[in-house]
Amino acid sequence: MSQATQDTAIRTGRVTRTLIYLVLLLFGLFYLLPLYVMLVNSVKPLEEITGGGMMNLPQVFTIEPWLKAWSSAQIGVDPTGLKPYFWNSIKMVVPAVIVSTILGALNGYVLTKWRFKYDTILFGLMLFACFIPFQIVLIPMARMLGIIGLAGTTWGLALVHVVYGIGFTTLYFRNYYAVFPTELIRAAQIDGAGFFQIFWRILLPSSGPIAVVSIIWQFTNIWNDFLFGASFADANSQPMTVALNNLVQSSTGVKEYNVHFAGAILAAMPTLLVYIVAGRYFVRGLMAGSVKG
Amino acid sequence: MAVSADADFKTRLQNWIPKLVLSPSIAMMTVFVYGFILFSVYLSFTDSRILPTFGWVGWENYDKLWRLSHWETSLINMGIFASLYIVICTCIGLGLAIFLDQKIRGEGLLRPIYLYPMALSFIVTGTAWKWFLDPGIGLENVMQTWGWESFEFDWIKDRNFAIYTVVLAAVWQTSGFVMAMFLAGLRGIDNEILRAAQMDGASNWNLYRRIIIPQLRPAFLSAFVILSHLAIKTFDLVIALTGGGPGRATELPATFMYSYTFTRNQMGIGAASATIMLMTIAAIMIPYLYAELREKR
Amino acid sequence: MGFLDIDNATKSYGAVEVLHKVDISVQEGEFLVLVGPSGCGKSTLLNMIAGLEEITSGEIRIKDQVMNGVHPSNRNIAMVFQSYALYPNMTVGQNITFGLEMHGVPKPEREKAMNEVAKLLQIEQLLDRKPGQLSGGQRQRVAMGRALVRNPDVFLFDEPLSNLDAKLRVDMRTEIKKLHQNLGTTIVYVTHDQIEAMTLSSRIAVMNGGYVQQLGTPQEIYDTPANIFVATFMGSPAMNVVPAKVTVLNGRPHAEVALHDGSMAQLPFSQDNLSAWDGRDILLGIRPETITDMDGADRKSSNIAQMTNRIVVTEPAGSDTFVSMILGGQDVIARMRSDAEVAPGQDFMFAVNMEKAVAFDPESEMRITP
Repeated sequence: MSQATQDTAIRTGRVTRTLIYLVLLLFGLFYLLPLYVMLVNSVKPLEEITGGGMMNLPQVFTIEPWLKAWSSAQIGVDPTGLKPYFWNSIKMVVPAVIVSTILGALNGYVLTKWRFKYDTILFGLMLFACFIPFQIVLIPMARMLGIIGLAGTTWGLALVHVVYGIGFTTLYFRNYYAVFPTELIRAAQIDGAGFFQIFWRILLPSSGPIAVVSIIWQFTNIWNDFLFGASFADANSQPMTVALNNLVQSSTGVKEYNVHFAGAILAAMPTLLVYIVAGRYFVRGLMAGSVKG
Repeated sequence: MAVSADADFKTRLQNWIPKLVLSPSIAMMTVFVYGFILFSVYLSFTDSRILPTFGWVGWENYDKLWRLSHWETSLINMGIFASLYIVICTCIGLGLAIFLDQKIRGEGLLRPIYLYPMALSFIVTGTAWKWFLDPGIGLENVMQTWGWESFEFDWIKDRNFAIYTVVLAAVWQTSGFVMAMFLAGLRGIDNEILRAAQMDGASNWNLYRRIIIPQLRPAFLSAFVILSHLAIKTFDLVIALTGGGPGRATELPATFMYSYTFTRNQMGIGAASATIMLMTIAAIMIPYLYAELREKR
Repeated sequence: MGFLDIDNATKSYGAVEVLHKVDISVQEGEFLVLVGPSGCGKSTLLNMIAGLEEITSGEIRIKDQVMNGVHPSNRNIAMVFQSYALYPNMTVGQNITFGLEMHGVPKPEREKAMNEVAKLLQIEQLLDRKPGQLSGGQRQRVAMGRALVRNPDVFLFDEPLSNLDAKLRVDMRTEIKKLHQNLGTTIVYVTHDQIEAMTLSSRIAVMNGGYVQQLGTPQEIYDTPANIFVATFMGSPAMNVVPAKVTVLNGRPHAEVALHDGSMAQLPFSQDNLSAWDGRDILLGIRPETITDMDGADRKSSNIAQMTNRIVVTEPAGSDTFVSMILGGQDVIARMRSDAEVAPGQDFMFAVNMEKAVAFDPESEMRITP
């Protein structure tokens, strides 16, 4: 999104402006409401919630629900808390993000600076792959993971995310490199630099911003995925989102809403942190994801 | 670039490396995307149950599918959900974008607030809304304890209204993103055109209706494509928010496919439903991508 | 055999041929300028010499070595690009020595070469800066430095001055010319600016539509253009080309052209061979500076014709005054001294230096040669 707040030549009256501010603020509250509900209720004892105090600030402040959600809540059969699943997610996300970003950068480089016949069609096929409903690949993917021995492992999940993430990372780097002056590549060719030298010495040093966009996008997407995690992971390799869902949906015992909310925040924390720290890049990725830059 | 036979080693090498570098991605795409699509489409014509089997049954799965009330429910829900979701997101997104574009103080604070839900997992969103809308502890209970005894809001437990709570949560998650798309569109409009229109005496209302909104066509198109594709893929949100219930009241094609394939062991029918989902998305995405990539040439 | 030979070089993209059998031989130390409007194929030809575009058919040789299929870095050429193409992440010094580094030249030698070039181009104080911190003129120097340091056989320049403002462009033009004179290098230089072409080159190839229209020294191109395209492309303001008819009077061919009121003027040709065209239509080419007042006429010329015509517009331009009139039914520009006493609407006696006039065949648009 453009940071430049260029003047719009529109003038509005005082009453209109007050109304506009009112509406904008109301929507601000609407968007903040669930976050407020989660935060406030994650630090309350359960009775305060069930007693109709969901919207109130806590009377008794406790971090007990957080501790429980993290390390002792019943998930599936074991009272392990979300901790092991958090690490599962990390183990899945980190390699998947790194590999898909590297491949995306190389693909973008080839597709813009070493063009060949039908490269646009090829790119179109890659891009379409981002938008398919993944239900169409679930069955064969499950079989394939079994065949190559990665069924029910975090490595298997990482592979799946690499495969279906390349389209987006390629899109980012391709659009970025498309406006990178081709004359620089030609100059480097005349200077005697080869394919990888040009990439490493000329292109990569200028790719910082788009690499950040790609990493953040991939991180957010993969962390937040549920479908692949639910379909391909076993009890020991489930990612955070699947574990959270199990925690919330479990029908045994009392519903510990405060623990659920604490768990939800734990699951949301990494992506939320990234958003707060690097929101600008996240929005850029989001906008590029609508293909139009 | 085709290289003639008399090229030196370096030139030939430089001609091959790019294709070599691209090949892992191409291979993965061929197998994992297009190969798998073909496999699934093929399965939809077989008698697969728990595991893929290859007895050809023709259109039988599709016949069965279209006679299942379960599938019909999920399609009707899809219709309600997608149309409301797209229309409401577009309206809110456009409205907020126009309002934010009025030189608003605090825009830098509001914009990230509108957008942060996009960074969350649908499972988190689902969990938060699930308990907030729960009549036992959530909004209804709160209002009643605050003194509005007759207040009732139990849509999430009501077969006829549960699907609207899915719309609510989905709108909450993505409308900020639509706002950002429209805002970018608005900021891209040439200010001189606006000045000229004001010189011509256009009122604010007419300025937007006749000059500005028509220029946002690309943003409308992008928003429609993105939202419709998100709608068809909606899965996690339903799982977390309602689990498809009460009963089957909030089943969508994505959840239908999942349950038929993995819990009801009707893989053939599951594959058929996935194929229909793919076709629907393809009908929207392919023309769009085609137009986009042609422009960029 | 020249130093750089372009031998029947053709370029096609698919079925479309964009460059048709180009034949140019460049001698060592020569400054060849390829000039033409955009899309004429001049940059494609340069890229083919550089090895950045493949040669569809024909041959390009440098020092008798066939270059077809040879990697750009192995042709011993250097190129200065329109955008300068300086690597944004490297310092000026690194930019200059990158090519040497890629060719495995050891560091001490690279430093030495860099310092020599920096001294030559007076950019020593810039060596540690990044390209983003440089002005347009400084970037231009660095780009030349990067080319010079390789000590190549042939320098290729791709519109190197087109991104500079008008004043700097003139300065850099002089700079490039000095450099060529001092170093005696072989240069192929692409531009769309005909003044650059005239001032810099030892020979010019005027290109249009993928064909070399004319290859010759600046003087040849200017005085005896091969066809109407070359005649009107080179020179500013452009050569006036007006319809005329050849009439032979007293045994001498004249050009009969219509004045503003429809009456005919007879302008005697210097070329006797035009008698063969008696009674036929031609196109008469007269450069603006050969139409003057009587005082301003070229004293060395042996063939000054007179003609009285009405002035339509006068445009004082400081050093000259441009006067327009109707001749042969068209607008024609005359270039007069700034002190010429002219006013719109006036019937004025012009002096036309017919020694410099050229005639074109209206069918083929080729110049009618003696």
